[in-house]
Amino acid sequence: MQSLSATSVAGVLLDLSGVLILLLAFACLASKLFNRYVAYYGAQSVVLSFAAGVAAYAFRSPELWILAIATLAIKGIAIPVAARRLLIRRLELKRDAALSTGLSTSLIAGGALTAFAYLVTRPQLLPHGVVAAAVVPLSTAVILLGALAMVVRRHTVAQLIGWLIVENGVFLGAITLVATFPFIVEAGIFLDLVAGVLIMVVFVSGLTRELASASAGDLRELQG
Amino acid sequence: MIGLAALIVAGPLAGTVTAAFGARGSRAGWAGAAGAVVSLVAAVWLLTGQLHRPPLEAIGGFLYVDSLGCFFLFTVTTVTLLAAVGSIGYLSAEEEAGRLSSFQVRLYYIFFGLFASLMLASLETGNLGLLFVLIEASTLASAALVGLEGKAGSLEAAWKYVIISSLGVTIALAGTLFLFYSASALHLAPDLRLTWPYLFAHAHALVPASLRLAFLLAVVGYGTKVGLAPMHTWLPDAHAEAPSPASAMLSAALLNTGMYAIIRFLAIARAGLGDSFPRVVLLVFGFLSVTIGVLFMVRRGNFKRLFAYSSVEHMGIIAVALGFGGVLGLYGALLHTLNHAIAKAVLFLSSGDVALRYRTREAAGVSGVLTAVPLTGAVLLLGSFAVLGSPPFGLFLSEFTIVRAGFANASPVLPLFLLGLLAVAFIAFARTTAGMATGEPAGPAAAAAASPYASRLLTLTAAVPVVVGLTAVLVLGVWIPAGLDTVLRHSMAVLL
Repeated sequence: MQSLSATSVAGVLLDLSGVLILLLAFACLASKLFNRYVAYYGAQSVVLSFAAGVAAYAFRSPELWILAIATLAIKGIAIPVAARRLLIRRLELKRDAALSTGLSTSLIAGGALTAFAYLVTRPQLLPHGVVAAAVVPLSTAVILLGALAMVVRRHTVAQLIGWLIVENGVFLGAITLVATFPFIVEAGIFLDLVAGVLIMVVFVSGLTRELASASAGDLRELQG
Repeated sequence: MIGLAALIVAGPLAGTVTAAFGARGSRAGWAGAAGAVVSLVAAVWLLTGQLHRPPLEAIGGFLYVDSLGCFFLFTVTTVTLLAAVGSIGYLSAEEEAGRLSSFQVRLYYIFFGLFASLMLASLETGNLGLLFVLIEASTLASAALVGLEGKAGSLEAAWKYVIISSLGVTIALAGTLFLFYSASALHLAPDLRLTWPYLFAHAHALVPASLRLAFLLAVVGYGTKVGLAPMHTWLPDAHAEAPSPASAMLSAALLNTGMYAIIRFLAIARAGLGDSFPRVVLLVFGFLSVTIGVLFMVRRGNFKRLFAYSSVEHMGIIAVALGFGGVLGLYGALLHTLNHAIAKAVLFLSSGDVALRYRTREAAGVSGVLTAVPLTGAVLLLGSFAVLGSPPFGLFLSEFTIVRAGFANASPVLPLFLLGLLAVAFIAFARTTAGMATGEPAGPAAAAAASPYASRLLTLTAAVPVVVGLTAVLVLGVWIPAGLDTVLRHSMAVLL
């Protein structure tokens, strides 16, 4: 099994990126503006692609290089730009009012989930001194935070971002835990992600339009 | 043999291709049905040809079909054929009535074929990573079917479906990663470390802590697709809002595909961790699903929701059967999978006919189907009894086997509890469907006798699948063909 030691340069860089990704997930959980959600998600994806690049360099794996570039291009640039153009600007989304708990409550819950992630993954699973031992709990925490964001927020766009954060968490775990994951599978996962985002964007805008036109119809009925 | 496997996957695409090249809706429907026939024939051929041979394996394990895969292929192709034929009548009636545009009908056939083909492909791969990719892709294809009608309700259902299922399947991906990691002590090439037969053969050498987590995550993740409680919340909405033949596909094909993925993980977990941990996990999720399914069936309302909760219940029963384990439990689980798939497809297709005639999906708005449309009424009534597991239908036999497995392999409290829940389900479900079938057709129902189908041929496409399906479930209740018995035993042998 190829695995990086925690003290190598690549290991330290991966560890650092993991921490940054977790912090950005927290930042997303703590904000209330749609613009910020997308910005934090984009930043998280850029850090993730950096991490993938580090892993690619350390393992000397050309497939991982391709993945790192694809992550940067699709998750770091294309999806945030598309979300901004197609969803936020077109639907005129600004503040997210559909939160089912206050921000402080969700942050505390996020802290608890992070602790839980360490509790579950650290002791039994991984040998000491490997960078995965440090990063896997982080990625588990990112997965849980993304899921929490989906639960706490009721707006469809916010839920979509939550799902994308979960996806980032899984990807972070994948590149540190199992850098030798079959490439065809990773490519498939990527394609699924893109298709998923496309379909969801269609549903979100359709749903919003449908609801908007329904309420506009009500207004016309009352005129006569 | 590889050609046959490819043919099975390619069959349903006939409808997709025809619709994509601009053929009219009904023509695409016939093409899809013809493709489904090809798939079914190929699946039966593969099943009989594979029976006494080693599993079919090619392209480094990315293609892998053993008896278990063959059995599921047979189940899914059967359901696909029933639903594809049922689609022709239903969709053209909807188009005739102006509720769907011709573009929407074509869209339906495009995604119907894609959905079926992706599910069949996921049953043919031995690579657990590719399994994830195909199952997620089938989610996306079916989401388009759920949201087809484009109303606020169906869009919301589709949204809920796609977001919950995608999250679930992402969790299953995390499980797959941990499984891959647990194999890191083995000296296999990376491709093979995700290939099921190798993992199964070396299950004892996998790292237990990581394998345990992998199994749990896989059950939760794929359980979302199966509709195991508490991850079932998308299921009633999606089933209620999708066009009825698509609901049949969701309930009878998609849920089984998810269960197939769980069975693959279960086999590895059982071999690597021993019996007790997987058993507890499956029994907990199974009983929770049966309980929740039954409780929500008590509420009267949308009859397609009722059928959907019944699917939750039945998937719970299959999970319980897998949890009981042993020869009886596995046999019961597989037999129940086949029985439930056919019976539920029949019920959803007949519910489509009812919805077309009565223009409602609320049970309270429907009465006297037996008088107004004798055939549909009879199918609805008999189909409900079949789904509820009353003799002489096949589900009685499989549920009986499962309960026997419970008495043999677990404490007697569990099978007794299961029997109690089944009794409640019987009352709740039959109360609603009997109310729909009997009584006098009143109000708009008087017009229900007028056929919504434009021609005799279309009426036939609505009637034939339900009658054939119901007959099949009836036959399976009194007689299990020797061939099927052999297939079931061979499929179980894969897992033991």
